[in-house]
Amino acid sequence: MDLDKLLEIGNQCIHSEPPTCVASCPVHMDVIAFAHEIEKGDFAKAYKVMENRMPFARLIGKICDHPCESACVRQECGGSIRISEFEKTVIDLGYMPPKKPLLLSKNKGSVAVIGGGLSGIVAATELDKKGYKVTIFEKTDRLGGSLWSYAGKELEVTILEEELSTIEKKGISVQYNAEISDEDLKDYYKNYDALYLGAGSWDKDYEINPHTFQANDSSLFIGGKIQTKNNSIIEAISSAKRAVVSIDRYITKTSMHASREREGIFKTKLEFNIENVQPLETTIKHANQYDENEAIAEAKRCLKCQCNECINACVHLQRFNITPDSYIRTINQNERIILGTHHANKMINSCTECGLCKAVCPVGIGMADIIHETRRSMVEKVKMPISAHDFALKDMQFSNSDAFSLIRAQPSKEASKNLFYYPMIAFSAYARGLYKGSGKTGYLFYPGCQLSSTHTEYIGDIYKHLVGAIKDKDADNDVGLYLGCCGAPADWAGRDDLMPESIEKIYKTWQEMGEPTFILACSSCAATFEKYLPMIKAISLWEVFDTYGLPEVDIKKGKRELCIHDACATRHNAGLHASVRNIVKTLGYSVHELEYSKEKAKCCGYGGLVSNANPEQAEDFVKDRIAECEDDVLVYCAMCKDTLVKGNKRTYHILDIIYGNEVNQGTAQKMPTLSERQNNRKRLKYKLLKEIWNEEESDMNPSYNFTLTIPDAVIALMEKRFILQSDIEKVVENSLTHKERFYNPQTSDYLARLRVQNVTFWVKYEEQGSNIIVKDVYSHRMEVVEK
Amino acid sequence: MENQTKEAQWMCDKCHEALVVEKVRVCYLEGSFEVELLKCPICKMVFISDELAMGKMLEVEKGLEDK
Repeated sequence: MDLDKLLEIGNQCIHSEPPTCVASCPVHMDVIAFAHEIEKGDFAKAYKVMENRMPFARLIGKICDHPCESACVRQECGGSIRISEFEKTVIDLGYMPPKKPLLLSKNKGSVAVIGGGLSGIVAATELDKKGYKVTIFEKTDRLGGSLWSYAGKELEVTILEEELSTIEKKGISVQYNAEISDEDLKDYYKNYDALYLGAGSWDKDYEINPHTFQANDSSLFIGGKIQTKNNSIIEAISSAKRAVVSIDRYITKTSMHASREREGIFKTKLEFNIENVQPLETTIKHANQYDENEAIAEAKRCLKCQCNECINACVHLQRFNITPDSYIRTINQNERIILGTHHANKMINSCTECGLCKAVCPVGIGMADIIHETRRSMVEKVKMPISAHDFALKDMQFSNSDAFSLIRAQPSKEASKNLFYYPMIAFSAYARGLYKGSGKTGYLFYPGCQLSSTHTEYIGDIYKHLVGAIKDKDADNDVGLYLGCCGAPADWAGRDDLMPESIEKIYKTWQEMGEPTFILACSSCAATFEKYLPMIKAISLWEVFDTYGLPEVDIKKGKRELCIHDACATRHNAGLHASVRNIVKTLGYSVHELEYSKEKAKCCGYGGLVSNANPEQAEDFVKDRIAECEDDVLVYCAMCKDTLVKGNKRTYHILDIIYGNEVNQGTAQKMPTLSERQNNRKRLKYKLLKEIWNEEESDMNPSYNFTLTIPDAVIALMEKRFILQSDIEKVVENSLTHKERFYNPQTSDYLARLRVQNVTFWVKYEEQGSNIIVKDVYSHRMEVVEK
Repeated sequence: MENQTKEAQWMCDKCHEALVVEKVRVCYLEGSFEVELLKCPICKMVFISDELAMGKMLEVEKGLEDK
């Protein structure tokens, strides 16, 4: 995978973009941290935040012309945050005298600072910090320049004097009454490595480089009022600081331009969404500045602007407390590890690839494709943890094996003639549909593996309904049936090597059957078809129902409200959303639309095989989804129903309400176990072949000389540990045949093991005649060498 | 300790032998270790408890998978 391209995408993420206040502050004070500290009542820390960016903070904080406030996003919702008022209060409540400066040797070079006003003293102290020997040349007999115009008003004289006195204490020399003109500068060029000109006015106009503040490529740098050409205090400070960066680079002969794009005032990419922000009025001050409580109240108004749209919407990003910018950097590191632990594997396998982050991102960054690419790359490099997806991939293999896979054209007219009698032909649309059999498969019903596993009983009825309803309006086109797995698990697992197995089979079938339209009942199938089989025309079963009519079953008209949980895989399919809602309303229910619905649908937690790779993360998804649904939930994806029911939320598949199978409100809903799902698929194939195609297939279940009794607690363990009943049967059978087992004389229990493919399964059981009572099951992937 | 006593109760059903502690090689992916485990001295069948399989072994498996 192209990691550089990936990092570029990460750089587009605006999560770490500064808010407008910081971007419009020429010295970039961290206003969010500042407001946070004030909100906590920690004024000393707030002062530190201020001091961090603002030289002479104790003075400047009182007189700053605060361009930040006019940029504040709060403006439209009650008024800008009074950052300048914060500064004044923070100085009074949180000022701490600086620690005694360490007198470091000043051997990096010498700089002359011309002008001891605001910009001059800032440049001098900043240069001093960087290790330069600095001399200030001031034309009057005191430092501070225009700062003195605030003396006795905004600034107390004693504090002003105290602050200015620190300059010489640092070891910066000051020459007072040093009137210098442009003519004099030539001597200074000779005697100093660089000059900083920060006088309020000057007798010569220089062309000043707008990025470096360098004059004529010489060692002269100009800041302060001459450069800013305005009276802004904070801009003058900024220009002095920026000129110092240039002087340092000039003297140390490093690039004058590199990485300086965002100095001074800049435009942030952050666009903070104020749609849901409650207006709050500015806190009133009762004296000439905020007291502690007023400042805290005002700090609470601050929105601490940061783009968190995706992390607010997604429990995966929440669990790992990560946004796309750092997520992508972490993937980059994980991908580059050659020797060592791939710490991010679990995170990468905990994304459902549902696409919600992209749907809510203001700049359109989506993790789904990135995660998919990453998983593919992990598989390619043989770095994908096997256990993460092994069970799901074996289950997919099962679906595509003869145990479930089935392709049949509509039963021919000839084969169905025993149905063409009165009253059957009059009352059964299905019989009439068969009677109109054309031999051309126009539609192929593809229910998918999961619906077939968990809603087995509906599939035959749906098929018959489709034959009746479609043939009634469209006599040319027969309806066939195709049972199998689309390959979604392989796609989620990044297993490009397994995709063709599913896809090519579907493609070949489609061609052989004369390119029929697929009728899909599973949202994951729909997504897989769209991605890998775009040439195949596919429509959802719900759209077919909406167009051709619902099955004629006894519809119990309800009046209840149901929350519709849309399937994340179909978030962009507005037609499907409309069809589902039409059906729900036709059946007499009203719809409660959730905040996260349709294109903003949230995943139930099944997507991306997360329930295999990180069950706790999958549970987060279920809990999050349930929390939004007050009423019972209606879904149209079999996996959504499965996960939500397991989370103890009463959930109906749309087929449940179509066929009038609402369960009694008092009884608990139960979903089939992993083993039952496989059996259901086998059973479905067997049943459909027999009932619809009149084909008898021998029972493919192996027969054993024992029966299993599995208590509920063990069934729960099997589910948690991804162990199938068929695995247990194999272990027990082997142990009975070869006596490969341990015996515990005290409990009379047996313990047996068998390696099946890449997993060793262990079963503890009690033998009661031919009945085996299972007491414990577990497994490991490690191979134990028995010799 | 308690586990070890419990495990010591098991015996090999085929060989009717009490289990003995011996060094056993276990392998997964690129990893291969020798650990002391209970096994049948005759047929060499190795005893792995639920606690070991779902505890330490699982942890090591996951660690190796992330290497």
